[in-house]
Amino acid sequence: MGNIRLGISLYCFTDEYIKGKMSLEDCIRTAAEFGAEGFELVGTQMLPSYPYVTDQVLGEFKAMTSAYGIEFVSYGANTDRGLRSDRDLTEDEMLQLAINDLRTASKLGCRIMRVQYLLSPSALGRLAPYAEHYGVKVGVEIHNPETPSTPVMQQYLEVIARSGSKYIGFIPDFGCFAIRPNKPHWDEALARGAPLELLKMAAQLRYEGVPRDEARQRLLSAGANDAVMGAFQGMYGFVTFYKEPDLEGLRRIMPHVIHFHGKFHYLDEQLEEASIPYPDIVQVVADADFDGYIMAEYEDHLSGRALEMTERFMRMGRKLLDK
Amino acid sequence: MAFMMKLPFVDAVCDNSLKHTYVGGRKLGYEFQIRLSNYRGHYLSCIREFALRVDGEEVPAEDITFCLHGKEFALSQLPGLISEFWRVIEPATIKVYKPGGLAPGSHHIELTLRLRIPYMATPGSKQAHDYATLDASGSKTLAL
Repeated sequence: MGNIRLGISLYCFTDEYIKGKMSLEDCIRTAAEFGAEGFELVGTQMLPSYPYVTDQVLGEFKAMTSAYGIEFVSYGANTDRGLRSDRDLTEDEMLQLAINDLRTASKLGCRIMRVQYLLSPSALGRLAPYAEHYGVKVGVEIHNPETPSTPVMQQYLEVIARSGSKYIGFIPDFGCFAIRPNKPHWDEALARGAPLELLKMAAQLRYEGVPRDEARQRLLSAGANDAVMGAFQGMYGFVTFYKEPDLEGLRRIMPHVIHFHGKFHYLDEQLEEASIPYPDIVQVVADADFDGYIMAEYEDHLSGRALEMTERFMRMGRKLLDK
Repeated sequence: MAFMMKLPFVDAVCDNSLKHTYVGGRKLGYEFQIRLSNYRGHYLSCIREFALRVDGEEVPAEDITFCLHGKEFALSQLPGLISEFWRVIEPATIKVYKPGGLAPGSHHIELTLRLRIPYMATPGSKQAHDYATLDASGSKTLAL
């Protein structure tokens, strides 16, 4: 079943890091203590000399990875197309910045770099020879509400397949296979006074694939308050969900998948994710003999539960992978 | 409709950071520190709106400077700063020119700070250069 490894994206510890409860070193040490073989970080969040790597910072990373026995596997780059105040960056400009990011990832010793979908399919194609020379595989993230089969991801697939390169590919985020509403959002809506039957109605509209505007009207007519509409926005956006997750699409792109983000929002004591069907997804990944990482990526930072949830995630991962 | 996000990890105006600024031994104004309340840092060019009210009064833009990395920028420079990166755990210092300084005691500082989220196109928008907004504003009463 391939060689699936478990890592932790230090993004899991966003709240603790920003509030000063955990330093970068604490994040790396904690990831190792939770059993991660490798870690990822988001450059714009935790790289001290962003967007470059100074020799001092590089030395500090080397000391930390060797002290705690964990490898720095992947670098999360951001695609800031709106960097300038007067206009969007052109494709040429974004390519140049992505090459800068590649140099950073390479110097840090990372083998994987994440880019976001504002880097166009053709720019990703143009990045391939640079990725090969720097020895870093670049993947475009497939993040909810995109799935492997959505039109824009199909355009990337075409470019990736045509390039024949193993150095560009996909980084699916497990969140895009969600089958139930996001639990923290749901609980928050209830706490803010959303009537349960209207939340259930919103979820049902989403399951039935009712178009957004029509669904909004029907909810408002039924008397939905702000709390319901807030949850509704997520259900049709970054935390959407499906009756049938796009596992068939995942199967088709597996030859081009270089890395995974293991998104999770809430795991119960039985180690089950509240809305993302981990066993089913991991089965598809294992069937494809995947060789690489699933990086834990917690996202409900303001809950204050990051450490507990990430530790549970690693236990779930080891159980599913028989480790 | 503007798509606005708020991520209240930290207070925008830092505790206990208000003090007078002296130039040549004379009180030429005051300064305090601010944090970017977000999950990641941003280039200063992404600041879309920066305004200050102190004790209910608007501070003129020409009397405010934004200090980061040992540099002191006029507000009008911010839109052009595409390589000055403000880290998410790095306080910036705001200096206000006010000869004679503030009276001793408490002062209420209201910061309006809005940024373009440069990787998040406004959902559903087909327009160029149309991004979601991060509202990183905040206010606090500080003692001098």
